[in-house]
Amino acid sequence: MLDIQNLKVVYGTGRLRVEAVKNVSFHVEAGASYGLVGESGSGKSTVLRAICGLAPISGGHVRVDGKEVKTPREKSFYRTVQMVFQDPYASLHPRHTVDRTLSEPLAIHGEKDAEARILQALKEVGLGPSFRFRYPHQLSGGQRQRVAIARALILRPKVLLLDEPTSALDASVQAEILNLLDDLRRELGLTYILVSHDLAVVAHLCERLLVMQHGEAVEETTSVALRSGQASNSYTQSLIQASQGFSREAPAPLAI
Amino acid sequence: MTKPLLDVEDLRVRFHLRTGTVEAVRGVSFQLGRERLGIVGESGSGKSQTGRAILGLTPPPGEVTAQRLAFDGIDLLTASKRTLRELRGGRISMVMQDPKYSLNPVMTIGEQIIEAYRAHARKAGRGEARDRALAMLEAVKMRDPGRVFALYPHEVSGGMGQRAMIAMMLVTEPDLLIADEPTSALDVTVSMEVLRILDELVSERGMGLIFISHDLKLVSSFCDRVLVMYAGRVVEELQAKHLREAKHPYTQGLMSCLPTLANDVRPLPTLNRDPAWAQ
Amino acid sequence: MVGAPPFPQPSATQAWLLSPEPSSRWQARLGRGYLGWRAFTKNPLAVLGLGIVVLLILVAIFADLIAPYSPIAGGDLRTERLLPPSAEHWFGTDDLARDIFSRVVYGSRITLWVIVLVALIATPIGLLVGTVSGYLGGWVDTVLMRITDIFLAFPRLILALAFVAALGPGIENAVIAIAITSWPPYARIARAETLTIRNSDFIAAVKLQGASTPRIILGHVVPLCISSLIIRVTLDMAGIILTAAGLGFLGLGAQPPMPEWGAMVATGRNYLIDQWWVAAMPGIAIFVVSLGFNLLGDGLRDVLDPKAAK
Repeated sequence: MLDIQNLKVVYGTGRLRVEAVKNVSFHVEAGASYGLVGESGSGKSTVLRAICGLAPISGGHVRVDGKEVKTPREKSFYRTVQMVFQDPYASLHPRHTVDRTLSEPLAIHGEKDAEARILQALKEVGLGPSFRFRYPHQLSGGQRQRVAIARALILRPKVLLLDEPTSALDASVQAEILNLLDDLRRELGLTYILVSHDLAVVAHLCERLLVMQHGEAVEETTSVALRSGQASNSYTQSLIQASQGFSREAPAPLAI
Repeated sequence: MTKPLLDVEDLRVRFHLRTGTVEAVRGVSFQLGRERLGIVGESGSGKSQTGRAILGLTPPPGEVTAQRLAFDGIDLLTASKRTLRELRGGRISMVMQDPKYSLNPVMTIGEQIIEAYRAHARKAGRGEARDRALAMLEAVKMRDPGRVFALYPHEVSGGMGQRAMIAMMLVTEPDLLIADEPTSALDVTVSMEVLRILDELVSERGMGLIFISHDLKLVSSFCDRVLVMYAGRVVEELQAKHLREAKHPYTQGLMSCLPTLANDVRPLPTLNRDPAWAQ
Repeated sequence: MVGAPPFPQPSATQAWLLSPEPSSRWQARLGRGYLGWRAFTKNPLAVLGLGIVVLLILVAIFADLIAPYSPIAGGDLRTERLLPPSAEHWFGTDDLARDIFSRVVYGSRITLWVIVLVALIATPIGLLVGTVSGYLGGWVDTVLMRITDIFLAFPRLILALAFVAALGPGIENAVIAIAITSWPPYARIARAETLTIRNSDFIAAVKLQGASTPRIILGHVVPLCISSLIIRVTLDMAGIILTAAGLGFLGLGAQPPMPEWGAMVATGRNYLIDQWWVAAMPGIAIFVVSLGFNLLGDGLRDVLDPKAAK
């Protein structure tokens, strides 16, 4: 479904040149869920943004559904690939009602039957029709993120890019959203690319994952291996360690 | 048990808004000795407002009342502004979430630490303050204290900024440190490092620490005792090592709804909020 | 704010307006408007400003009914010149024996005309230039902003003078001159707002739905810039009225015998000591209307601009 070969993303020129992503390759089957894990500055979000056209592709290949993506992306590309952003407080237009937010993609692509599709989309993400005409400030964080997911799904894409979809939410709300994403993938046969700093979240949602550091791929592994604590790489090991909570016994593993 | 460092009884924080009065903290009571106390809760639980109220940093139009709010025998509610100012930053310090917003962008880190020190130890000379600042930067494991001393906040990484912040807050050797989500803006490996430093300083200097966080897992592994807050109240208080035996359904729910590496639970249990919890 | 009970029982309409679950587009919009209106009416000075502006509009519309005399044809030049205010002539008469009250009433039409024209010309230009330049960035931004700078460098009154000198005196030329010099600040405001909006996630989200650039600018960026622009335009209205009056005073705006307030003040200048009302009455009208717009602008800022609140 998605094939990334030696992806390179470079920002700026001369002294300001920053290589945000260096030669990252991975392949995702249709219907699979793939995780990108790393800390801030690892380039994991940049990979996502390069796939959907928010960041430049400076080298390498990005193939979606067997076809090389074009820059700028064609309109049809957005019917295949959609994205959910990290902060549900920033990703919804503050002056648009839920109805307007959801009808916008339909209007852009000239879809008919907006009425029914909006109600259907709300139902899919577990929101009733009473939410349709609310403004974002009338919604909680979890409800906003549901609206953002509904917006991403309303065009029936095949690939969903998830950029830390739960890190701005409370733990209990995170569980609800993770369950929702799990269900939606099964029902709609979606392919997920999930970016997160939280190993447990990635292990929960994805089968395979790529650990990134400083713009480079460190190790590709599976969530099964992660759960059993197997990691050939010391950086992955330290991430696993840190995800278990604070420990007084462990020696300081990394200098900052 | 000796006299507690901090004694809070029936603390309430109200906000009088146009739309009515909102009570963010509704009768919180606890005592703190020289220990690590964690306050855990989700957004809107009143955990941050509790920390701010102790320091007298409740933003207007908030109103703080309490049966008792005493630090080392000093009543914080009736204390003069002058006394409060001397306590704040002197004997009680606070570390905030994001170093980017808590450090002054136009002063070097060293200058800020010196200023924090001299504000409370007025007799100290510049030379002495400088030595203290450098020692403090070393204590928070800065690799090259002399270089960091002369840097501006934007020139350091998030982890270094937060450590500089901790250095600044601890240079006056406070008796009580309130840390409000000190690591949530940081990467996991960095935050472990920062916590380790905090942990050492607390145990070496015998400070009291209030650690406010949304992360139950982190708090329970770091603190001695945990208060779980929900809707402005403490719903459960327990020893961190006995967290697994939590009785309150909210605490149990908070623990079980987190995905873990150890167990693959699907679907994740979600919280069914009982209105009775907020009573 | 007299007699308003502190906590009125919400009526059915109110409950409908404030419903957290609006059931139609209109209910959601009206509910939002109602909340804004409630915040606005909390400020008595803003309500006073709105009252003045509404009064100006009503007076302009019903000038024929309100004015007791013709604004242009005078009375008997031997007996009715420069009469002081009285029951017959509320504001007195001028040197051509015309009723000043009627002239002030008709003058409101000219003032309103100037305001509407300037607002209609300058605001869209400023908004468009600002949002396009802010959103696209790069060389488009550079070119548009340099053009803005050039227009910003013209002193308003001097440009108006040059315009009028070239095209001949008249209210339309004055309006064009004022409009040309008023849009650059609006463009700057709109650009600054756009720069903060441009990189937000909700703009990225709509980009990822395949929206075209005009659609993003008009449908998503402009609605967020418009409120700060409305505030600025309203606050500028006072200055625009004064400029128009200034041009009239210099004889470059409305031409006699049109009852333009600035021109009326200018004729009254000759009689300022003995017949003060000739200059004072239109002067008060200018003052009151300018004040009204300023108060209204301040009130709107409290409602529309969350950043300025508190």
